[in-house]
Amino acid sequence: MGIDKRKVYHLDWYLIFNGLAIFLIGIVNLISATSSFYTSSYSYMIKQLVAFFIGIGLIVFTLHYDYRVIVRQSKWLYLSGLFLVVLVLIIGLIAGGAKRWISIFGINIQPSEFMKPILVLYLAKLLHEKKKQNVPLGIKDIMFPIGAVLLPVILIIKQPDLGTGIIIILTSGCILWFVGLKKSTYAVLGIISVISSFALWHFVMKPYQKMRILSFINIDADPSGFGYHAKQAMIAVGSGKFFGKGFMNGTQHKLQFIPEHHTDFIFTVFGEEWGFFGSIILFLLFASFIWRCIKIAQSANDEMGSIVAFGVASIIFLQFAINVMMTIHLSPVVGIPLPFISYGGSSLLSILGSIGLLLNINMRRYMF
Amino acid sequence: MEHFVKDGNTIIDSKYVWSKRILIFFIIVLLIRLWDLQIMRGSEMRTFSEQNRIRVKKIVAPRGVIYDRNGKILAETRPSFNIYIIPEDIKDFNQTVDGLAQLMNMERDEIIEKLKAASNMPPSFPVKIKSDVTMDDVAKVEAHRVYLPGVQIQIEPKRYYNYGKTFAHLIGYVSEISDEELKKKEYKNYFPGDFIGRYGLERSYESYLRGIDGEKRVEVDAMGREIRTLDVKEPIPGNNLYLNVDLEVQEVIDKALENKRGGSVVIDTKTGGVIALVSRPAFDPNKFTSGITKEEWQKIALDTRHPLQNRVIQGRYPPGSTFKILLALKGLEEGLINEKTSFLCRGGMPYGGRVFKCWKKGGHGVVSIHRAIVESCDVFFYNLGLKLGVDKIHEMADIIGLGRKTGIDLPGEKDGLVPSTQWKQRVYKTPWYEGETLSVAIGQGAVWLTPIQLVQLASIVANDGVNYKPKIVKKIVSPEGKTIKTFEPELNANLKFKKDTLRIVKDSMKGVVNEGSGTAYSSRIQHVSMSGKTGTAQSVGERGKNLGDHAWFIAFAPSEDPSIAISVLVEYGGHGSSAAAPVAKVVTETMFKEKKEIKEAKLNGYR
Repeated sequence: MGIDKRKVYHLDWYLIFNGLAIFLIGIVNLISATSSFYTSSYSYMIKQLVAFFIGIGLIVFTLHYDYRVIVRQSKWLYLSGLFLVVLVLIIGLIAGGAKRWISIFGINIQPSEFMKPILVLYLAKLLHEKKKQNVPLGIKDIMFPIGAVLLPVILIIKQPDLGTGIIIILTSGCILWFVGLKKSTYAVLGIISVISSFALWHFVMKPYQKMRILSFINIDADPSGFGYHAKQAMIAVGSGKFFGKGFMNGTQHKLQFIPEHHTDFIFTVFGEEWGFFGSIILFLLFASFIWRCIKIAQSANDEMGSIVAFGVASIIFLQFAINVMMTIHLSPVVGIPLPFISYGGSSLLSILGSIGLLLNINMRRYMF
Repeated sequence: MEHFVKDGNTIIDSKYVWSKRILIFFIIVLLIRLWDLQIMRGSEMRTFSEQNRIRVKKIVAPRGVIYDRNGKILAETRPSFNIYIIPEDIKDFNQTVDGLAQLMNMERDEIIEKLKAASNMPPSFPVKIKSDVTMDDVAKVEAHRVYLPGVQIQIEPKRYYNYGKTFAHLIGYVSEISDEELKKKEYKNYFPGDFIGRYGLERSYESYLRGIDGEKRVEVDAMGREIRTLDVKEPIPGNNLYLNVDLEVQEVIDKALENKRGGSVVIDTKTGGVIALVSRPAFDPNKFTSGITKEEWQKIALDTRHPLQNRVIQGRYPPGSTFKILLALKGLEEGLINEKTSFLCRGGMPYGGRVFKCWKKGGHGVVSIHRAIVESCDVFFYNLGLKLGVDKIHEMADIIGLGRKTGIDLPGEKDGLVPSTQWKQRVYKTPWYEGETLSVAIGQGAVWLTPIQLVQLASIVANDGVNYKPKIVKKIVSPEGKTIKTFEPELNANLKFKKDTLRIVKDSMKGVVNEGSGTAYSSRIQHVSMSGKTGTAQSVGERGKNLGDHAWFIAFAPSEDPSIAISVLVEYGGHGSSAAAPVAKVVTETMFKEKKEIKEAKLNGYR
């Protein structure tokens, strides 16, 4: 399948420019987040730009293939993703007490990030196969898909990468809701998730992960640990006031009061330096971007495309919402990157690959 | 290709509407939260972030320097390393506290106690844990800093006493302010970890010596490390003290009194300026400045030889025969005796049914005033005492300043006692017995004087009826060199003695040292003449043990034109002539080793 001028014309330029705007804001913000008061640092920005261009290449490459083909072959993507996730547990690099990365030709990649869009594709395939016109899915229909989700999720949580695990579970939930389940199935799933939450708390979660949740409930319970970080993040954002302290003037992150301020806590840098004013603009850009994703789902040629587009919209929405919420003390602290903004090649590539899928779906919406 | 017809899929279509609603809902929630944080509580959050990064650090002001009369430094400040904990920066309390305790060889509880003492200070207030640590300790802490978040090392001025024990009682010492003191209103300008003058001049001139601490606003990171200095308010050092004290004389006395218990004071008779003031045994004031340990403190405080007592101003002893000078002055002034008045000494005098002995068993025979002083005949003064009566003795003593505080610029001075009939009536509700007057006449019984009081007696004779309040500090000079305060001589007594009175007493006192029969003849000096009076006072002893008599010597020199007055007390030293007079001898030798002209020029220069 080639790509012709008509298809280029059908590229969703709205989505592209909207995404680019968020990415550029992210690049500017990243410079400040990784610089000190004395020296500007561009090395993180350059790495991020390299990942960006690789991502553009990935988009251009995948656009050549009809998304339906990609969805149908997603089993192989799923299996290779699973392989990498298993590989992480065996030969993964340890950083900060977690094994999340593997090194391939000297490049560190985080397979769990790629698992997110891959599972969207695979779920789209599996659910689409079960789906009949206007009939909600029953518990039998979703047994296998849920198993397919839980297997990598368990492995990812074991790394431990609770954040990505949660995002995958929530995204899968969104997709199931989107496709539509029987009322009884919702009830069964609800009960199962309550029970498994308890099991997770008692048997799987590590003390530090529990502490994060406890310190969310009482921010002063752990004034030197997670509660401290959550509080400092809140102070950073709040201290930006209306117009912010200005680019490169954020003191909270430059003086190391915020951990992971170039990755998971990057919104604190933005909120501190650009204030409420900048945050409104950023939020509106995200809202409009996600809105557009939903729109693509709505106007997709077929249900398979709708499911994929909606899945991608869910990932971006969930990551955006949870990431921002944890910096302003509306959610416990979990390691989730802010799409486009957080530093991290794997995260960026995963997002760009997802956008490739959206463009693919949108481009082929009139084709039969 | 299988196709899926979308149109009419009502299940999915309803989801778009809901998705968009959820999206809008969350965006609104986020914006409301941001509004709350950034707009409603923005200023509060901004303040938090400023407090986070901006820390006000105290710059300890160096204490004023203390100089002797020749400009030699007696007390100064030197840099020292102090270890602090900033509670706010502690990440893991046990890790920091245990880690530091182990490195510094301290008890965990010791550190916790210090942290508790400062618990009402803001958490960013650095709590001093240990003062004046060694370079080794500094290196150890520096090497482990990553594991000790909250621990800080500061270089701060520390009080240093260049001559240690020699000036222990005179200059005193500083030490860290206590928790109890901090709770009191009068110390409201002090903070935990501050040093305060505790003793001696350090205490009496605390308000002058203490500078005004400066502060430095620094930006710190989350580890408490200083990133940059925003602004500095320089500390203002304390004012410098210039003393009347002469280091050389002080050292000479210090050496002469080594391993003895007692005290000695030398004053400038023409100003009241204190040239030397030594009390023995002493303590090492430098021990207090680096935070004395409990054991060390107990050792000093519980020492039965009482090294913390300044015997010159706090030790009260019967003056013994030195008191005879007072009687002589009063007797001559009142005309009750003259140069020729003589009494027969047979080695004792019966009175009121008992015999009052003279120290010389065989007696002095017929003695007049001159010999009575030179050879210290007790019988002569028994007779004179009876003629005078106790109240005349008391009156004279009071004018000269015996029995009450002299007002020297040192804290904790004690008064003394010269009895009177009124006093006895008041305290014991019984009348005075004449027999008691006999004891008083030779400086025994209910007469209790301090060495600083007795030197006033020598001084008033030397200075022809005038004496001044003893003063250690001559002037106070600001760090910029501006004189803030100069202490002019303060008159204590100005008695218009008859010429004869002074001549007779002075002659006699000269005879004590310079005549062959004089009690202090062994302490005579070749090139300069000293006048004096020995005294030997019966001691009460300690715990029922009689440890011997207290030895006294009061003197002035040079005899012809006196400029200094000396008093020496040696506890349990035995005879004044053998134990106390030699101290005055070395002082006089030291003061007047130079030629008369130079000496006078120098003395004038001091004033």
